[in-house]
Amino acid sequence: MDGSDRHSHPWAVAVWAIVGLIVSAIVGVWALGVPGKDPVGAAVLTTQIAFRDTTDFLRFGPIDGQPDWEAASMILHDANAESGASLIELHGCGSCHTIPGIPRAHGSVGPSLASFRDQAYVAGVLPNRPGDLVEWLMNPTVHAPQTAMPDLGITEDEARDMVAYLYTLQAKP
Amino acid sequence: MTSTLDQFGSQTTYAEAGLGAAKTLLLTNGMVAIGIAIFIFVMAITVFAWRFNGGGRSWWIVGGGIVFPLVTLLALTVVSATTLRAITNDAGPENPVIEVTGHQYWWDVVHDPNMRALRDANEVILPLDTPVTLRLRSNDVIHSFWVPSISGKMDMIPGRINELTVTATKKGRFRGQCAEFCGLSHPLMAFEVVVLPVDDYAAYLDSLESEARDAVTPQQRRGKEVFLTSGCTACHAVRGVSENGRLGPDLTRVGARASLGAGMWRMNLGNLAGWIADVGDMKPGAQMPSYNHLTGPDLRAVSTWLESLK
Repeated sequence: MDGSDRHSHPWAVAVWAIVGLIVSAIVGVWALGVPGKDPVGAAVLTTQIAFRDTTDFLRFGPIDGQPDWEAASMILHDANAESGASLIELHGCGSCHTIPGIPRAHGSVGPSLASFRDQAYVAGVLPNRPGDLVEWLMNPTVHAPQTAMPDLGITEDEARDMVAYLYTLQAKP
Repeated sequence: MTSTLDQFGSQTTYAEAGLGAAKTLLLTNGMVAIGIAIFIFVMAITVFAWRFNGGGRSWWIVGGGIVFPLVTLLALTVVSATTLRAITNDAGPENPVIEVTGHQYWWDVVHDPNMRALRDANEVILPLDTPVTLRLRSNDVIHSFWVPSISGKMDMIPGRINELTVTATKKGRFRGQCAEFCGLSHPLMAFEVVVLPVDDYAAYLDSLESEARDAVTPQQRRGKEVFLTSGCTACHAVRGVSENGRLGPDLTRVGARASLGAGMWRMNLGNLAGWIADVGDMKPGAQMPSYNHLTGPDLRAVSTWLESLK
């Protein structure tokens, strides 16, 4: 028994090393795919996202296992819609968009965001899902090079809060 | 976070930051105290009149109805007039002069108009603890210059130069507001006042002599090109780039200001782009046309360049 344990030990190390390398490679490739000029920062960010998504999965279970999986797919765990509303005001989104609930947000440069939750696509280029919308808010010009919407330097945490607010906007059922 | 007001220290005489505001506050508090005392006195004699239905009423009518109001109002008039004089009249020939001209719906600011004529807009920088003579003019209709935290208000009348001497006593950022109805966007005609130590004020004046910051990135260079070729220069000046436009605010340090659209929106890329694309929506009645014929990338480029002018 002792002998076999001692023999299996290097194997376990090797297996875990390979798994680690594969994970690092995936994170690395993923990080390079994230727009921006800071691969290290992107790798850290990607790891954080992976960690958060994993813990969300462990805490709340698979989305299609929930009774209302359509609603569940729009939830951003730990995102704060209230701070999202403040951020939307702070970044000046209302200069271009009409956004219910945001003071002085009556712009008509871009589309109205009233009932944004019901919209199928984001700017006609990305599916309207939490992850894609977060990506869009952070780097609109990457996804639509001809867009008039500027990159506002919004961080991922800010974007998550803002998306949480945007997904409260829906037509009355 | 419901208005741009929270990025300014205040817009109220109760948070006084200037000699004029301090005197006004003293007068206000004194008047309120005297008013309360008179109210209590009147209530007391009313009770007295009900309880003791005696004679001698004619004396009360003459004394309380004519003499007392006359004396009180005369005293108040004298005190108010003295305060007003104290606020507006400490002008000295050595004071720095700042000329502020009201336009529909923004403010043209020229420091030291007689000698160096250093132009800025929508932001009045004041030196700390120094009496400054503001020369107030108007270009179109009657406006009124009012920074409640620093001093009283003074009308800006076309064809006239009104002088108001202010002394700021606290460092910081304060909000001013046009206080005379001047058109459709009168409520959207605010401005910033920044009080700096005397040395910093001198440095600020020197900075107004230098040219605008260079366009560095390709996007900023493209933005500058769009600015030069789209007609912006007909109304706006940027020192070192195009200096003839006088119909709109000077944009040489537009990105350095804390607000956009004369004290109304936070200065940031989003608001700037929205402003250029649709001024009429953000500020109805403003003279600037909406630049919604720019392509998306050009709109972003010109906004990015303007935001970089600090």
